[in-house]
Amino acid sequence: MTTAGTIAKSGAPDPRADALLAAFERSGYTCVAPSILQPAEPFLDLSGEDIRKRMYLTADPQGRELCLRPDLTIPVSRDYLASSAAGTAQGFCYLGPVFRYRDDGPGEFLQAGIESFGRADTAAADAEMLALGLEATAHYGLATPDIRIGDVALFSALVSALDLAPAWKRRLIKDFNHKSSLAHDLDRLTITPSRAGSEYQGVLAALERSDPKAAHALVTDLLSIAGITAVGGRSVGEIADRFLEQAALGAQTSLPKEMRALIERFLAISGDPDEAAAELRAFARDAKVALDAALDLFESRTGFLAARGVDVSRIRFSTAFGRGLDYYTGYVFELHDPSARVMGQLVAGGRYDGLLTRLGSTRSIPAVGFAVWIERLASLGARP
Amino acid sequence: MSASFVIAVPAKGRLQENAESFFARAGLELVKPRGARDYRGTVADLHGIEVAYLSASEIVDLLAQGAVHLGLTGEDLVREKIANADAHVAFIDALGFGHANVVVAVPQAWIDVLNMADLDDVATAFRLKHERKMRVATKYVNLTRNFFSAHGITDYRIVESAGATEGAPAAGTAELVVDITTTGSTLTANALKVIEDGVILRSQANLVAARRAHWNAAARDCARIVLDRIAAQNRARAFREVRARFAGCDDALLGEAKRRFGVETPFGGPTSSGMITLHCPPQQVHALASLLRDNGAENVAVAKLDYVFSRTNPLFAKLEAAITPPAA
Repeated sequence: MTTAGTIAKSGAPDPRADALLAAFERSGYTCVAPSILQPAEPFLDLSGEDIRKRMYLTADPQGRELCLRPDLTIPVSRDYLASSAAGTAQGFCYLGPVFRYRDDGPGEFLQAGIESFGRADTAAADAEMLALGLEATAHYGLATPDIRIGDVALFSALVSALDLAPAWKRRLIKDFNHKSSLAHDLDRLTITPSRAGSEYQGVLAALERSDPKAAHALVTDLLSIAGITAVGGRSVGEIADRFLEQAALGAQTSLPKEMRALIERFLAISGDPDEAAAELRAFARDAKVALDAALDLFESRTGFLAARGVDVSRIRFSTAFGRGLDYYTGYVFELHDPSARVMGQLVAGGRYDGLLTRLGSTRSIPAVGFAVWIERLASLGARP
Repeated sequence: MSASFVIAVPAKGRLQENAESFFARAGLELVKPRGARDYRGTVADLHGIEVAYLSASEIVDLLAQGAVHLGLTGEDLVREKIANADAHVAFIDALGFGHANVVVAVPQAWIDVLNMADLDDVATAFRLKHERKMRVATKYVNLTRNFFSAHGITDYRIVESAGATEGAPAAGTAELVVDITTTGSTLTANALKVIEDGVILRSQANLVAARRAHWNAAARDCARIVLDRIAAQNRARAFREVRARFAGCDDALLGEAKRRFGVETPFGGPTSSGMITLHCPPQQVHALASLLRDNGAENVAVAKLDYVFSRTNPLFAKLEAAITPPAA
């Protein structure tokens, strides 16, 4: 078990956790304590239905679904958006219990962490998160954890630069966070799509050679003749668009093997950030794909990390590294125990620029942050 | 509860009627000594057995807790309500009624959606376009989540629906549904279609055993008697009895009958006078009768069977395997 018996729960966190929170405050972050009881909707919406089986759910008399907060990123983000400071650059830190059903441990455990909103200096903010994360493990006597980093934005940039049907681009981006599916997709990219045997095959083939505008009008008209307007939240136009997209995809059954090889070559790139950046530059040159903006940010971030005294050569970067959560949009990182006394990450976080928009913000607000697993860190020290 | 053995059966509806006639066929007459409104009953002429009349979902809960020994309920509810169902209960016998498929159904207008891969793509496109996730109305929250997860679909939200799920897309409260269907006509009437590979579960009524119930010697004895009668009825229904007497009835002919028609010889080979009793699957009776007459039988008598009691009891064997913890 990772839980040390000496740690009291929410009432009185251990003194080292309090000291860690104080250190975050000294670094300029405002301490916040969002409510423990939260609406369930944002968590299900942003983290996916899979999180439902790990959440402690209840309902109020009006039938609204509520939950014990499974993390603090979404509660802190919502409080920030509801405050008068929304949109301005703000940094928050927290320490408190979160609630997730787990087979191998208590459903209530402590997390500390930081959320930084609205900073325009992206690379510096990214680097600061990792530096503060390292400070957290150092508080518990682990000065040199394993550092794993990734960058979702690099993969997004690659996919949008590739000459691929929109359906494949959507799928690749979505599946990046689900590694087994991505391998599956790469297999499928070179084989005949399942649509080949479909009853519409002939129609699709005919439409594929016709003028796109006329084809769209035809399909829309046919659906309208059938008396169908908006059914199930998708408009007739949307259905027609995708129907025709399938026609285009049907013609792409013999997608060049080079495309798959290219993606695989990209996903194999790893190493320390300097090596990886050089390799990625060479890759972009060879493959003639424009990754410049994402790579510039990547290198600038590495510079800020070095400036903060982080030994960059100890960082393990991998293009294939993601954190399994849909809302990360860029840089992601995890800190692990090098001697594997504790399973799972000790500190983890990343950039989630899209999150606040999805929580209802009308303008885009950049955001980056991380969470610290207090019991895991504490149990390191409790062991010989 | 004085009884050491409890069977839970549905308290109302079509499933209750089917359940009662199923038990009656097996020679297990369910009686309510204190009147039809009572929710506790017994089995006529059998002591120590309590029949608990409960709602279908209560039956599943009590099976999961091990508060009843056996229960009659749909596989769909068991798999929905009990996480890792096979670890908690054992399916002893599929009963051949209460058929219902749990399926993924989308509006017929979605001509671009034929299979789950399409649905996956549409779900992601929907989120990107509408900045919200596609909603799935269902009462099968867990079955839906596991099935969608197995197909890699992440961009969806479940809207729990207590009833009339098939109306949700038309009402605008969901984009698609996961619902049960027997003939598909309700779905069609609501302008929905089942996705090609969207059958999550083909469910029917099952006799289900609770692995964690208190299985003492008395409970096992009761279960043995009940399952013996059910097994005897199962076997009786699976066969017709075919009798004939003729000199040409030899091992070679019986071998052919077994091979071609799945015939069994419950009492061994022919007597010295060529008298033979066979058990034959109902749909093969006519072909078997022809074969026997072609080989010299003057008359072939075929009769329905009420019970066939065998020394081996496959249902009880299944139960024993389920409630005996595997040797370490």
